[in-house]
Amino acid sequence: MIQNSKYAIEVNNLTKHYKGLSAVDNISFAVERGEVFALLGPNGAGKTTTVEILNTIRKPTSGKVMLLGMDVTQKKYDIIPRIGVLPQGFSSFDRITVKETLQYYSRLFCRKKPDIQGLMKLVNLKDKAAVQYKNLSGGLKQRLGIAVALVNDPEIVFLDEPTTGLDPLARRAMWEVLLDLKKNGKTLFLTTHYMEEAELLADTVSIVKKGKIFAMGSPGELIESNADYLVVMLKSVDETVFDIVEKMGFAPEYDSHGHITVRLAHTDDVRRILNAVRESGASFTGLDVRKPNLEEVFLKLTDDTFLKSVAGIEEAQ
Amino acid sequence: MNLRIIHANIIRANIIVSIKSFYREKTVVFFRIAFPVILILVFGTIFMERDNEIFELSIQDLSRTTSSEQLVEALDQSERFNITPVSPDVDAKQYARDNKLNLIVIIPENFEISLMEKMAAGHFETPVTLTKVYDPGSFGVTTKIGVLDMALAKINQEMSGNPPLIASEPVSILKKKYRFIEFFVPGIIAMAVMTASLFGSVNVNAELLQKGVIRKLSTTPITRIDWILSNVLYQFILAVVSTAVMLLVSYAVFKVSLEINAWLVVFVALDVFAFVGLGMILTRVAREAESASAAADALMFPMMFLSGTFFPVEMMPEFLQTFARILPLYYVNEGLRAAMIAVDHTAALKCALIIGAFAAVVFVLGIMTTRIGGETP
Repeated sequence: MIQNSKYAIEVNNLTKHYKGLSAVDNISFAVERGEVFALLGPNGAGKTTTVEILNTIRKPTSGKVMLLGMDVTQKKYDIIPRIGVLPQGFSSFDRITVKETLQYYSRLFCRKKPDIQGLMKLVNLKDKAAVQYKNLSGGLKQRLGIAVALVNDPEIVFLDEPTTGLDPLARRAMWEVLLDLKKNGKTLFLTTHYMEEAELLADTVSIVKKGKIFAMGSPGELIESNADYLVVMLKSVDETVFDIVEKMGFAPEYDSHGHITVRLAHTDDVRRILNAVRESGASFTGLDVRKPNLEEVFLKLTDDTFLKSVAGIEEAQ
Repeated sequence: MNLRIIHANIIRANIIVSIKSFYREKTVVFFRIAFPVILILVFGTIFMERDNEIFELSIQDLSRTTSSEQLVEALDQSERFNITPVSPDVDAKQYARDNKLNLIVIIPENFEISLMEKMAAGHFETPVTLTKVYDPGSFGVTTKIGVLDMALAKINQEMSGNPPLIASEPVSILKKKYRFIEFFVPGIIAMAVMTASLFGSVNVNAELLQKGVIRKLSTTPITRIDWILSNVLYQFILAVVSTAVMLLVSYAVFKVSLEINAWLVVFVALDVFAFVGLGMILTRVAREAESASAAADALMFPMMFLSGTFFPVEMMPEFLQTFARILPLYYVNEGLRAAMIAVDHTAALKCALIIGAFAAVVFVLGIMTTRIGGETP
C-alpha cells in the first residue's frame, strides 16, 4: 500500500462492477502533489468511472482510494471542500449569469470572500460576467466549468475530458488555462481523448483499456519504451512505391492524403527504401522522418489493428 | 445516505438561484401566478351566475286575458325568471327549435274561463293545465322546470287562500351563508399548489439530472436534505405568493367571505412538502424527464377531478367517494375548507394530521431516493 504523504491521490487495486460487468479492473496508481496526471483511453475504458470514484460520486466495488490521505468512502464531506471537479459535459443553470454561477458555487462551498473577479480573469470570462449560461458558446461554457471547479481553491482539480467537443481555437484557449493552473502548482487529474493535450500538459500519463492500465509513465518514457522505431512518410508518390516498400518486407499504409507511412526499426532501413525507390525510377516529392508521438503509443496499446502493423517492427528489433 | 447537516447558507444559495431562474422565465411566471387566477376568474364568474341564477322563460299566452296577464306578472315577481313573450300565432315547438329555447310555457286559450269555473264551483281536483314545451337534451332545463313548478305551487297556494300546512326553515351548519365561489377558491389554491409543487419538482430535477448539473452538485458540500429542503422552501415561497394573489383577486373581484388564519399557511406548507417529495421520487423512479412528467400527469389528473377541487365529492358515486378519500389532495381541500369556510379547527387538525403523515413519509423517501450527494442504492 502507498502511504507516502507526498501523494495527493493513491489508488490501490480499485475495481468497479456494474451488473456483473467490470468497468474498472484492479487498477493502482499514485499522483504526487503538484503533478499533472492524465488518464488516456478509448470510449468505455473506465476513465469516467475512475474519476467519479475519485470525486466521491461513486463507490468502489473493492480496493482503496485515498485523496489527500483520506479514504474517499469514509471522508466524503472532508474531501469535497479540498477538490475541484469539472465533470464530463459540464452544464449549469440556463438563466443564471457567469458571475451569478460563480457566486452560487462559492456559496455552496461557504467561501466568505470568493475571488469571483480573479476567477473570471483566470478563465478569460470577465467580459461575459453578465451573460446567462444558455447564451455562452461551448468553449466559454467549459471555461466557466473550470472556474466553477476552482471556486473553493482546491488542492486537486479533476478534469474529465475538458476539451471534448471544442473547436481547435477553444481547445487551445483551454490549454492555456490548464497550463496556468499547472504553473500555480495545482494537482491536476485529467482524462482526455486528445494525445496532443496529454503530451502538452501531463507529467504522467496512464493508458487504460477495458478497465485495466496498459502503460504508465511520462509521455517521453511511454514513447521510448513502447515505440522505439521511426515513422517515415513519403509524399506524392507513384503507385509503384507502395509495392516496392511492401516487397521489401515492410508494412506501408496510405494516409488520408494519399501519402505512404511506414514504421521502421532502423535508420538503415530508410536508406534502403530510398535507394530501392530511386533504382525503380519512381518518384516522390517529399520525405518526413520522425520519432513516434504519444498518439502512436496509444494506438499501439489500445487498437488491435494498429498493434498488428507495428508487430513486425518489434520482431525485427 | 448523508443526513448529517443542514446548511442554511447552501439552502439560501439554492433558493436565490431558483428564484432568479423563475422570474427570468416568463412562461413559468405566467403558468405559476397568472393561470390559477384566470381559473378563478373564469369559474368564479360562471358560479357567481349560478348562485344568483335568473332563468330565461318564454311564455306563449293564448288566453290573452286579465287572469293570464296576472299569472305572467306573478311569475315575474318571483324574481327567478326573465320572461319573454312568444306570439300566440306561432307553433311553440317549431319556435323553440328555431330559437334554441329549452322551455316555453303555453297558457291555454280557455285559461280564464276554466279558472273562473273551478273557483266558482270551489273544486280544485282537476287543475287548469299549462303546457311546458321543453328540450330534454338541454343542460339545466330540469332545474328550470323545477324552479317553475315551485313558483306555480306558491301561486296556487296563495290563490287557494289557505296557509301552508307544512313549512320548512333552513339552518346552515356553517356560521354564515357561503356561495359556490367560496367553496371553489380553497380548492383552486390546493390544486394550484399541488400542480406547481409536483411539476416544479419533477421538471427542474429531471432537467438538471439530464443535463448533468446534479452530477456537478454531487461534488459540492450540498447534502440530500439541503437539496430537498431547498426545493421545498423555494416552492413554498412561490406557493405563498401565488396563494396571496389568488386570494387578493378573489376578494377584489368576487368579494369572497373566506377566513384567513394560520391553517391556511399550514395546509399550503403541507401541500408543498407532500408534492415536492412525490416529485423527487418520480424523478428518481422514472429516470427520463418525459416519463417523469407523464407519471406526474397520471397522478395529478385523478386528484384534480376526484378529490373535490371543482365540485363536492358527495356528488360522485359511492365507490369514487371512497377512492377520493385515499387521495392526499382530498385532505388539503377538506382541510382548507374546514379552516377557511367552516372555521372548524377540529376538522382542520384531523386533515392536517393525515396530510402531514403523508408528507413526512414522502419527504423521507424523497431524501432517500434523490441523487444529490452520491451514488444511490
